[in-house]
Amino acid sequence: MLSDARTRSIIIQCALVAVAAAFAALLVSTTFANLRARGIPIGFDFLTMPSRIVISEAILTYKSRDPYYWAIATGLANTVFISAVVIVFSSALGLVVGITRLSSNPLAAGTCRVWVEVARNSPPIVLLIFLYSLWWKVLPPVGEALNPLPGVYASMRGFVVPAVSMDVATPGLLVIALALALAAAGWAAARRRWLPPLTAPAILAVGIAGLWLADAKFFVDWPTFTGSNFKGGKDLTPELSTILIGLIIYTTGFVAEIVRGGVLSVGRGQWDAGHSLGLPRGKILRLIIIPQMLRVIVPPLNSQYINVVKNSTLAIAVGYPDFLAVMNTIISKSSHSIEGVFIILGVYLALNLSLSSAANWYNRRIAIVER
Amino acid sequence: MKALSLPLPAEPMPGQIRFGALRRSAMLLFGTPLNAVLTLLFGVLLVATVPPMLRWLVIDAVLFDPSPRACRVAAGACWSFIYAKSGQLLFGIYPLDERWRPAIVCLLILALLAWSVRPASWAPRLAALWMAALVLIFWLMAGGFGLAEVPTSSWGGLPVTLILTVVAIGVAFPVGILLALARRSTMPAIRIGAVVLIESVRGLPLLSILFVASIMMPLFLPEALLPDKFVRALVALTIFAAAYLAEVIRGGLQAIPNGQYEAAAALGLPFWRTQYLVILPQAIQVAIPALANTIIVMIKNTSLVLVVGLFDLISSGKAALADPDWPSPAAETFLFIGAIFFALSFSFARFADFLERRGPTAH
Repeated sequence: MLSDARTRSIIIQCALVAVAAAFAALLVSTTFANLRARGIPIGFDFLTMPSRIVISEAILTYKSRDPYYWAIATGLANTVFISAVVIVFSSALGLVVGITRLSSNPLAAGTCRVWVEVARNSPPIVLLIFLYSLWWKVLPPVGEALNPLPGVYASMRGFVVPAVSMDVATPGLLVIALALALAAAGWAAARRRWLPPLTAPAILAVGIAGLWLADAKFFVDWPTFTGSNFKGGKDLTPELSTILIGLIIYTTGFVAEIVRGGVLSVGRGQWDAGHSLGLPRGKILRLIIIPQMLRVIVPPLNSQYINVVKNSTLAIAVGYPDFLAVMNTIISKSSHSIEGVFIILGVYLALNLSLSSAANWYNRRIAIVER
Repeated sequence: MKALSLPLPAEPMPGQIRFGALRRSAMLLFGTPLNAVLTLLFGVLLVATVPPMLRWLVIDAVLFDPSPRACRVAAGACWSFIYAKSGQLLFGIYPLDERWRPAIVCLLILALLAWSVRPASWAPRLAALWMAALVLIFWLMAGGFGLAEVPTSSWGGLPVTLILTVVAIGVAFPVGILLALARRSTMPAIRIGAVVLIESVRGLPLLSILFVASIMMPLFLPEALLPDKFVRALVALTIFAAAYLAEVIRGGLQAIPNGQYEAAAALGLPFWRTQYLVILPQAIQVAIPALANTIIVMIKNTSLVLVVGLFDLISSGKAALADPDWPSPAAETFLFIGAIFFALSFSFARFADFLERRGPTAH
């Protein structure tokens, strides 16, 4: 009987693999036939040719005579930049909103609840297009720019913020210092679950000493208004600002719900038990509550961060050139669609898999150690 | 103990209740220093934002004045544009004389959805009802058999959103179940195939899948078999939904204790009947809240088909805004579209809450 079931399972699997292979072969042969019929060449050598495409704004420096691979890198840098900014800000905001939703104050809890419901129930693309349409309605022309914080201006042409730049005389020393600081952090993390109290200042001191030895100078470039435009500072165009603000509003709603769930998942009894052991509040929070909360919130937070990377593709809705938009332009310009599709799939899979493996590593570290 | 035995007034004075409620809310708002700070902070925030918003939304807004000129002079929102353009916003470029057809389709889908979310109507005949409804919907939308024919390229607006949502989820559900079972299979070839498919779809943004579907399908398939844009988007949405539903159903399957499999084996049930009669009904019951969340995500995701050139709600909004007679009230239009999506997914979310509170039914 056992051999019967095993043969059957082998036959089923062989049949499945054969069908899949036949299907793939059919697709590949049709694709090649279609490509030949249209006279489209295949190969990745187009990557080093000058692209001549226009990327309207970029974190890296890009000129249209740069090769295709640099255009791809520019788009990727934009995507990574958007994702990183959104993840950092929405994590911090989500923590505040999630905890405020649990407040007994109806005004505070209600406002945060409205935020969460709007974020969770409206499509992000509609949110982005709506915010983008508000831009010229709400903000004043550049001559009467709002100045909410010193050095920060908001007008129809976007935000202008102070730019920080660093001038390093001997970069090698800085790299060594950073490596030392990282190694110390890794060593401390490997030795103990919670860092000993002196590690953080020590790492900071190594970093600062490195900066000082490397003779680093920081420059803050404050924007100034000169007649018709701003000089200096960093420009955030309406497109970039919209995608950042929109995705931060959207993601914050989800992070807030995750944080709220995490706080609620730790029972009151844990606080009582901590008090009865005579632990002070700070220690209960640090040693009992937060470790248990992290265990609950890290896995869903991880999938939320991956969603941020995926949602950054919505930049296309407001015309910001993220990775997918750049790839789309490249594909229509160069007609290397197969190669373009492979690059798109490869890059997003690599980004998301590395994010989730980092989170899984962290998750394993904080998971319950069971006997 | 003397204080406790003091006679209490039989009925509180009317003013006392008022005072009590007032006191309670005062305690909630200013009871502790933190609450007082929060009240001040959010009070300032709300006072600064809510009155201008209300002024724009209602007080200064043009509500029903049908002439575009009123909108040009008004300081507030231009709702009369939405009112005047509602047909175009909801049904896109569908032929003017035939708009009653998509209207019936929308009502039909919404009524069926409302009917289907009642736990009492969950039975195999619900699936049959949906199949019949889908045939009717495609007949109404596409025409033929006595109705004027309308190609899918002229479909637009809300019916596209609803049809994409319903059909993608409807087709993806059985596919998702098969994928979930395949991922838990003991046969390595099947398991690895399912894992690769599910994880690569889940690792990709939906937009890139839509792009790939619209770029690659003309290359993959012989020209004669090439589906139109609507079907291409539908295929991409279905694959996407199937991968996510598979993971949700797998979660449900993992919650079923081994005893259920052993009991089914003891009864001599073969694999498929074990799944159909014993395992899946329980697994899906467990997974219902997560399934409802996935369905909300799919409702929201259908809004992305505009980037591959389908005429959904957002595109019909953009087309309506292009009318030069009107002052192009973009914010109002997208607020309206957002409100439609909000209404759809918020009601579904409340339904998911209801199911979660109700808990799994006893068998």
